Amino acid sequence: MARAEGGPEAGAGGAGSRRLTWLLAAPVLVVLVWLVVYPNLVVLGRSLVGPGGFTLSAYHDFFTTRAELEAAWSSLWISAASVFLCALVGVPLAFLFARYEFPGRKVFGALAALPVLLPPLVGVIAFLFLFGGSGIFTRIVQRLLGMSSPPWELQGAPAILLVHAYTMYVYFYLFVRAGLSRLDEGALEAAESLGAGRWTIFRRVTLPLLTPSLSAAALLVFMTSMASFSAPYVFGGGFRVLTTQIYASKLSGSLPLAMVETVVLAGVSLAFLWVLRRLERGREFASVGKGTAARRHRITSGWARWGLAAAGAGGVTFLLLPHLTLLLVSFVPQGTWTTQILPHRFNLASYAGLASDPGLLQPILNSLEMAALATAANLLLCFVAAWLVVRRRFRGRGLLRVLLVLPWALPGTVIALGLATTFSVDRPALGRFLLVGTFWILPLAYFIRNTPLVAQAAVASFRQFDPTLEDAARSLGAGWATIMRRVALPLVLPGLAAGGTLAFVTALGEFVASILLYTHSTRPISIEILAQLRAFDFGKATALGVVLAVLVGGAFAVGGRWLQRGELLGG
Amino acid sequence: MTGRLSAAALACAAALWGCGGGGGRTPLVIYSPHGRDLLSHFEKRFEAAHPDVDVQWVDMGSQEVLDRLRSEKANPQADVWWGAPTEIFARAASDGLLAPSSPTWADSVPAAARDSAGRWYGTYRTPEVIAYNSDALARAEAPQDWDDLLARKWRGKVLIRDPLASGTMHAIFGAIMWREYQRTGDSTAGYKWLLKLDAQTSDYVLNPTLLYQKLARQEGLVTVWDMPDVETLRATTSLPIDYLIPKSGTPVVIDAIAVVKGAKHPALARTFLQWAGSRPEVLEAARKFYRIPVRTDIPADSLPAWLQRTLPELRPMDVDRAYVQEHLPGWLRHWDREIRNRGRDEGY
Repeated sequence: MARAEGGPEAGAGGAGSRRLTWLLAAPVLVVLVWLVVYPNLVVLGRSLVGPGGFTLSAYHDFFTTRAELEAAWSSLWISAASVFLCALVGVPLAFLFARYEFPGRKVFGALAALPVLLPPLVGVIAFLFLFGGSGIFTRIVQRLLGMSSPPWELQGAPAILLVHAYTMYVYFYLFVRAGLSRLDEGALEAAESLGAGRWTIFRRVTLPLLTPSLSAAALLVFMTSMASFSAPYVFGGGFRVLTTQIYASKLSGSLPLAMVETVVLAGVSLAFLWVLRRLERGREFASVGKGTAARRHRITSGWARWGLAAAGAGGVTFLLLPHLTLLLVSFVPQGTWTTQILPHRFNLASYAGLASDPGLLQPILNSLEMAALATAANLLLCFVAAWLVVRRRFRGRGLLRVLLVLPWALPGTVIALGLATTFSVDRPALGRFLLVGTFWILPLAYFIRNTPLVAQAAVASFRQFDPTLEDAARSLGAGWATIMRRVALPLVLPGLAAGGTLAFVTALGEFVASILLYTHSTRPISIEILAQLRAFDFGKATALGVVLAVLVGGAFAVGGRWLQRGELLGG
Repeated sequence: MTGRLSAAALACAAALWGCGGGGGRTPLVIYSPHGRDLLSHFEKRFEAAHPDVDVQWVDMGSQEVLDRLRSEKANPQADVWWGAPTEIFARAASDGLLAPSSPTWADSVPAAARDSAGRWYGTYRTPEVIAYNSDALARAEAPQDWDDLLARKWRGKVLIRDPLASGTMHAIFGAIMWREYQRTGDSTAGYKWLLKLDAQTSDYVLNPTLLYQKLARQEGLVTVWDMPDVETLRATTSLPIDYLIPKSGTPVVIDAIAVVKGAKHPALARTFLQWAGSRPEVLEAARKFYRIPVRTDIPADSLPAWLQRTLPELRPMDVDRAYVQEHLPGWLRHWDREIRNRGRDEGY
């Protein structure tokens, strides 16, 4: 193992190389500044302008109101706690499925990634049917304890944390699993032969090598929690976080206050990003071995074998309860399930409705098309951007790094609002084009929202392989394009595919930005689910949710095969 | 692999071309909180009368429509805004979001129920009611009036739709604040009433659907909501939900309709507005969706039987709309910051 000294710069040099860097960096930077920074500046500019010109009165309002400060603090600690809880669930699962061989490992290992299938809104509804005041789980506990009222209410911070832990541990699970499968067995064996104990190996070898994966996952969970809207909105009751405050301010017409709340939200997220980067600094390790993947421990003791199998199966089943609930509800005829623990009548009416109504097929096609476009753009941009960030040192590299994660620090509502404001007029000279109301606005929003997801995965992958591989190829006379195609791409493909798959499924179920930008003819699945919910058709809403989950499952199956081809994850 | 990728790109491009068309019909986009049943019914009726038009409605809360129109001000996506209390329409009109129109039936709408500049017109009168779970409660046991909601026995049994997003809740909160203001001369008593209601509330519910669901599943036993929606629910589902009209009087919201300023199809939007307020369509809404016409020129005997029965029971609360409209944003802000979930902390 060698420290990749500072990461970038290695082998870079000469005017030709610098020109190449700029040839690539300039368009990437322009696109990101134009799409990520500019819209928010447009909105921010408007927020600082009151009836009488420039004013800070909204900021004064924010910092002197108890409810606003409460919301800021809640957002912060909820997000920190979410990171902790998600790591607690996701990291052990990743170790279990990546390092140990036991019956059912493959199946349950794949199933453990399923919660990513649940788009936030659908997930929240499933939780309601499961753990809500009249939910299945709640009523079972109530019946068992012989209580007259529900043992708990699904409300406030515990409810939000439950949903976050349930839905976001996937980031830790997937990233750490990918990291573990890239671990060089040689490094572990070397440490062992030098007399290091298990704990020492874990602490001194495994953990440092996993740092990029862990910090990428922590960042994603923190940002997602900060920007999480559906869970606090549905379960929050009176529990305030910044995203729900933004929504409330916007609804009541206090746009400047909504903007201040946004600025604070973005500020906290950026601070976290900065802290994380500081912690990460000086911990950039790469493996130089030929990269034999670590072997899984085959458990020989029967007890331990089946014990692990049972733990894996039990844990994963518990994590899948919301999906099962969704499936269950989709078969329940309208209005037949009231005070019973479990529904007692089932039919296929909801699915028949989906099949017979072309109006319900359109949103599915819309989502597939828009998610595919956005993801294709993500992959292209992020591959180039990640290479630049990790391998090159140039003015603007810091800016590029920030731009690549910035969208996560901006809640979907804000991104959507920025796009809606900036691209609602046709002023090409100002870089503003009329996109609102067209097909392109939603793919654009998905592209922006998911850039960090793909970029993080790509950057983590580039960090983990040694830059000297590229140098070797260069010294053998390979040009840049050849190096990228024959060396870099195959090596980062697993990470890129993992990020791309996540981005695609996130876009498929995206709700928060969609609701501000959709038009009738481009409505995505999540909006149709909301419409069905509003129309009181839980059957069709959950059936659509199941269709969405199946689509996402399909995407994972395809993505998974790709990952396996690299023999680095899942295989 | 490159070949496959470009094939995929081509397929995407082809799909894009494919979705460009709209069947050649002119789209008419309507934002409305009136609900899927009513909207799809009138979509079919309007399209039958205008085969060259494709009605596309988007169902959302009243306040959400306003918010969306504000966001889209520079490039409006909607042609017609159908439904929401007149107070919200008045705010939209003063924000410059609505275009004037002059339907032939304008004069049969009372002056108080339409904009003097013709930017919005009242269509339906919507009374607010107390709804309850009829499996758990007999009619006589349910709260009979607004103040009954504050009785000890309903603690933790009251469900409330998220007041910030809902026109119905705006109307109810506004009416309570107005009533207490008239009684005492300031807003303290009204806030205290809302604090007490907050202490009774088990949950603030995200949308009407979840409200019905929670009520049917007895997560709460009573709520406040509007009459047409509960009537429609009773007619179209088997949920155990019934309602009663508060004894002391109830706020009656006037739902309105308007042409969106800068609409892509202004002439068509005016045609729709003219049509939706016409006598046959207003009566259709009364018969099928329990909507009470605002128009005063409709003979009582042409109204459906249920309406002829209900109208005498209805005692509209005398609310100063201008006063409420002016103060409501401030009241709601105060409610959100100082009242929501603080009722029990304050010892009520």
